[in-house]
Amino acid sequence: MATFILDDATGVGSDDLDSAGAFVDLAIIANDDGIGLDDPVGGMQRVTYNRTINGPPQVRLDTLVNTAFTPDYGNGPQNVDIIVIAGLSGFTLDDGTSFANNGTALAPASSGLAGSSLNSTENCLVIYDTQQTICVARDGTDGDIDLPISNPVVLYHEFSHAFRIVNNTLLALTAECDPSSPEENAAIVDENDLRTDIANRQGVTPELRDPGIHCGKVDEDCSSCCIIATVVSKSLASPQVQFLRSVRDHFVRSTEVGHAFFKQFFRDYYWFSPQVCTIMARNPSIPGLLLEGYINPLLDFWKVMIERSQQSMSNADLGAAFVRLHPDRAQAESRRDALHRTVSYWLNHGANDSEVPAELIMLLRERAWPSAHMQWALVAPVRIYYGLLTLYLDGTNEDAIGREFNRALQIWAPEIPISDVWASLSAEQVATELEFCESALLQSAGNKKRFHERLRHRFHDITSVGVVLNGLNGALGGVR
Amino acid sequence: MRNDDIKPDDLIASIKSMEPAEKQIELVVRLSNKATRALHYIADVRATRYDPNTKTLMLSLSDEGRQVIPGAISKLPVFRYIDPGSEAEIRLGVPDRVIKLSRTAPPGELAFETHQLSDVQEVIVEVAWADVPFYKETRPCIKDDARLPAARWEQHKARATKRQKKSPRPKN
Repeated sequence: MATFILDDATGVGSDDLDSAGAFVDLAIIANDDGIGLDDPVGGMQRVTYNRTINGPPQVRLDTLVNTAFTPDYGNGPQNVDIIVIAGLSGFTLDDGTSFANNGTALAPASSGLAGSSLNSTENCLVIYDTQQTICVARDGTDGDIDLPISNPVVLYHEFSHAFRIVNNTLLALTAECDPSSPEENAAIVDENDLRTDIANRQGVTPELRDPGIHCGKVDEDCSSCCIIATVVSKSLASPQVQFLRSVRDHFVRSTEVGHAFFKQFFRDYYWFSPQVCTIMARNPSIPGLLLEGYINPLLDFWKVMIERSQQSMSNADLGAAFVRLHPDRAQAESRRDALHRTVSYWLNHGANDSEVPAELIMLLRERAWPSAHMQWALVAPVRIYYGLLTLYLDGTNEDAIGREFNRALQIWAPEIPISDVWASLSAEQVATELEFCESALLQSAGNKKRFHERLRHRFHDITSVGVVLNGLNGALGGVR
Repeated sequence: MRNDDIKPDDLIASIKSMEPAEKQIELVVRLSNKATRALHYIADVRATRYDPNTKTLMLSLSDEGRQVIPGAISKLPVFRYIDPGSEAEIRLGVPDRVIKLSRTAPPGELAFETHQLSDVQEVIVEVAWADVPFYKETRPCIKDDARLPAARWEQHKARATKRQKKSPRPKN
């Protein structure tokens, strides 16, 4: 006996357990036709493995699956099986710890090892969330926590702990995450074996985790499918994606309010983005339509906004910055045509474009466009850009383009979705955040006034917001 | 004369609202700082405990009582601070059910208990706080202290209770 996947159990239904997902993760670890499952007995499926590959992950898996472990924790040798419990949303341990976005390996109840008092059985329980969106520390970056961890890698990490639990060789485990404890360091070293193995299969350079840092965070951006990356180059390393990441990390997420904005933005974005990627995979013409009809205009809009946030720009400056984006008139005309289709058929909820599958239009209507964050950050900017490009191609001069740009920003900028996080900030933080919003985004007196009104209306009973806004009113007559 | 001593009830918590949402329950917790100095607190749920006998749900914004176990990642709490004499709000979300390993199953059997939180009659939220920010432990080893880092940091807990008049129903 050795390793099982839990398929059903008293107190939960088979629908609650992601046993199919667990087997897929096992198959990815093995990458070997020799992996298999017996029929369920008593709610559990025994894993079988007739190994034909000699890589470290395969050898480790072979050991876990084909060894009868009989560790002696001090009460004589005892049989210990490994039971994989996957999914199970809402699962918590007796100490209240939730396993959303994490995994663990619990030692047998009588073993006396770390976590054993939280286990009600004499088996080693490997528990992990198959809907996780975790980021971990990337090796070689001095602690940047931006490396995704896939489900097979989470499972393999927990198998590393399980291996030492069933051999009674668990290393020292402490609560500190930086530096990681010896036990977590060893699990991350093992985890990197699988990362390397998978990268080698795909012919790409492995992206490894820093074994010295066990800290992690939950971040939807670390996983799943990004529409923009899929369209531009199928890579998160493309210049376009790098630009957006740079905007996110150095411009938006550098503040509490910006961070909260992006948290909700990504939550909304990944409500539809993976399905869009699936539809694109079946419709290879869509990425071409999206590139010039949506993504490049969106990126160009945000490039101008970044430039505007860094310096004071007159109407003429703003118009010139827009015109500089279009050195090739023929390409600009082609982009306007592509934008016309996008704005008419995709963003306006109007008549269907025969080039675009109805299921995609439906998905965007139901999941993307109702989001205030999507409307503000991804839809309105493209509409503004389209209007400006049309003016430019009609022969409008830079000054007039800039004036129109500023007029559009006057309507758009102060309507940025306001996060609840404002209510939890101190007055000093509110003042700092407001100052950043005003200098980076709002800039004009009218924009500031409108944004102050919205903040005051939303947080009329929050002390810190009131203190700061009243202070601005008192000192500057209502508009700073 | 300087008078910045804190008292255990300097941070007051109350549950402003509790609403069912899609597959989760959302709460808004209001905090009030009665002290003359800023107070620092944990702003995310660190432990969810449910007592099916009393139908009491405890949401703990504290690492006290949590064990050190192996895991894919370690995640520190979200920390915030509140100015003296100020009010603030935090929004919390928890799954609408709690699943635990069963302690009453026959020996050798792996079984679970599932509790739907729509049945909750009382909700308790406890918020760990201190009069200084959280700081990382830099001493090489604290062998006799098995607590999680944030549990070592906290000085007090603000506690809020709300009794449900009727079972919450999902919004249409």
